[in-house]
Amino acid sequence: MKVARQNIHWENHQKHIPTVEEEGGRVWGCFRSCFLQSAAPYTEGIAYKILKNDLGIDLREAPGHTSCGAIGYHGDVTKLETQMVIAARNFSVAHYELGVDNLFSFCVTSFANYTEMIQLWQEDPQLREYTAKTLKETTGRDFWIPQVCGYPSVVHASDIFYANRHILAAKAKYSLKGIKAVDHIGCHYAKIFPGEVVGGCEFPRVLVGLLEAFGAEIVDYPERRHCCGMGFRNCAFPENRDYTASSVYKKLSSLKETHPDCDLILTNCPGCTVFLDAEQGTIKEVLGVEFNIPVMDYAQLTGLLLGYDPFKDCGFNAKVVPIEPLLDKIGIPYDKSKTPEERRRPF
Amino acid sequence: MGKLIEELKQDIQYQHGMNACLNCGICTAVCPAAEVYDYSPREVMNICHQEDEEALIELLKSDKIWYCGQCFSCTPRCPRGNSAARVILALRRLSIRYGYFAESEKGRQQLFAKRVFGENLLKRGLTLLATNITPQNFPELGEFWEYYFEHMKEMREWWGVPMDLENSPGSHRIIPEKDMEELRAIYKATGALELMEAIEKGMEKKLGSKEEVEKYWQTWLETGDSRNYQLKKEKEEDK
Ligand code: SF4
Ligand code: SF4
Repeated sequence: MKVARQNIHWENHQKHIPTVEEEGGRVWGCFRSCFLQSAAPYTEGIAYKILKNDLGIDLREAPGHTSCGAIGYHGDVTKLETQMVIAARNFSVAHYELGVDNLFSFCVTSFANYTEMIQLWQEDPQLREYTAKTLKETTGRDFWIPQVCGYPSVVHASDIFYANRHILAAKAKYSLKGIKAVDHIGCHYAKIFPGEVVGGCEFPRVLVGLLEAFGAEIVDYPERRHCCGMGFRNCAFPENRDYTASSVYKKLSSLKETHPDCDLILTNCPGCTVFLDAEQGTIKEVLGVEFNIPVMDYAQLTGLLLGYDPFKDCGFNAKVVPIEPLLDKIGIPYDKSKTPEERRRPF
Repeated sequence: MGKLIEELKQDIQYQHGMNACLNCGICTAVCPAAEVYDYSPREVMNICHQEDEEALIELLKSDKIWYCGQCFSCTPRCPRGNSAARVILALRRLSIRYGYFAESEKGRQQLFAKRVFGENLLKRGLTLLATNITPQNFPELGEFWEYYFEHMKEMREWWGVPMDLENSPGSHRIIPEKDMEELRAIYKATGALELMEAIEKGMEKKLGSKEEVEKYWQTWLETGDSRNYQLKKEKEEDK
């Protein structure tokens, strides 16, 4: 089912992300996500394997690049000035130490943060000057702005999967034919800079395009664009996490009412990947309501379809919702001589 | 015009987040925080728009500005191009600078933000650490996460994402000391350290002493819930 609305200009806007068959699409610098590194490290693991082995991308990452600090920014312990200079430092390290022009991040909050800084520098020469000067004074490094196809910007890792979706689909061992799926786009991927998103924030194409390339049928539901409830200080401090669980409940109730047969939710944000899954456990315990909808990110799904091991490579052993029913439905084999516990506990 | 209103208007996030607000309430309709808390971004925008110094101070002392989840769902839907999310960022920094954050329960949680996100950044260059995601604080991650947590190093090697490597571009790596020094210099020069310090100071002023701040922190570490710490005033009321 194709959902679209034609009257807003950025919905027609398609930013250009080079594929591996194009100039500028074979070498990428990348920034890791501190959220994924802490709460779902396997997702970066499988993304790396696919980008390197299946797409043949030369991925470059400097030991000295740091977190963008945006969790601290939205968690109110840093300032805009801090974010600008840290971003400039990471860009400078990537360009002058690794020789890259194109950059992507694994975290949607980093993507929005870097996009914001680049746009501020473009709009306001004073901020650019402040950043370049402070960067030089604090680190001795030179200011540089990353570009994708000549346009000052960075992209998100899911953009690269989207750009190369037909190449990935051609390599896939399994297909999503007969599978009903829906996307859940990270708020910080789509809602801060809708103009930097393939298809804008109400009808983004990035994950739907990938799902369609793999043969899935897309379903729609009323609360599709509601936030997962990660909410920074709300998920981080246990006493606030009813916020997170309530948001997940609102979304998933809406999905179940409209499409009780939806087989999976595809994400591109670290927070959504973790909490849309985990809070299903809380909801089951507190309310006795079971949704049992598998939640996975673009790299985990692509990994499954390319034939990577669901547990060792794609990390489905650390999830709350069991993945086996979906594997059976798609026809992906796994070791049935083992119990679910044995499959998940290798040591 | 009041001093705080003046200061708020200097903040670039406020300038970028606030045009004329028509009070339509679309932001509140789509806001996840408004769904679960006594909170309305429309109301926040309205208070700022009225430029009433007293009402602003009351807002800065309240829980309200801390309810926002910073999702930016309000931003693309506003017919006036406003961003309540950005206005909130400016209000929170103002609240911290004046110590008003310590007047509210949700505001006092900034001590955790400072000691977790802030100190992680200064010590490791990462805002979150693998050791922060404990099964105790994140029980919803379930029994398999507990298993992972007990076998963290081996599990991460098994998944192909070994952790804490030195001088490596890998996952959760140890960032070289020379890079950490640059990072700390940036935090200092751009005022982030000052902001973090203001959180410690504001808490000390509110709770009465450094020892009380440590008690508040310990209570949170041990029980995961700051509401188990009793403020002096609450204690007296109990008597
Ligand atoms: S959506 Fe915009 S104009 Fe409407 S109340 Fe919210 S901030 Fe004001
Ligand atoms: S950013 Fe804050 S105010 Fe805006 S929708 Fe999200 S929670 Fe509500």
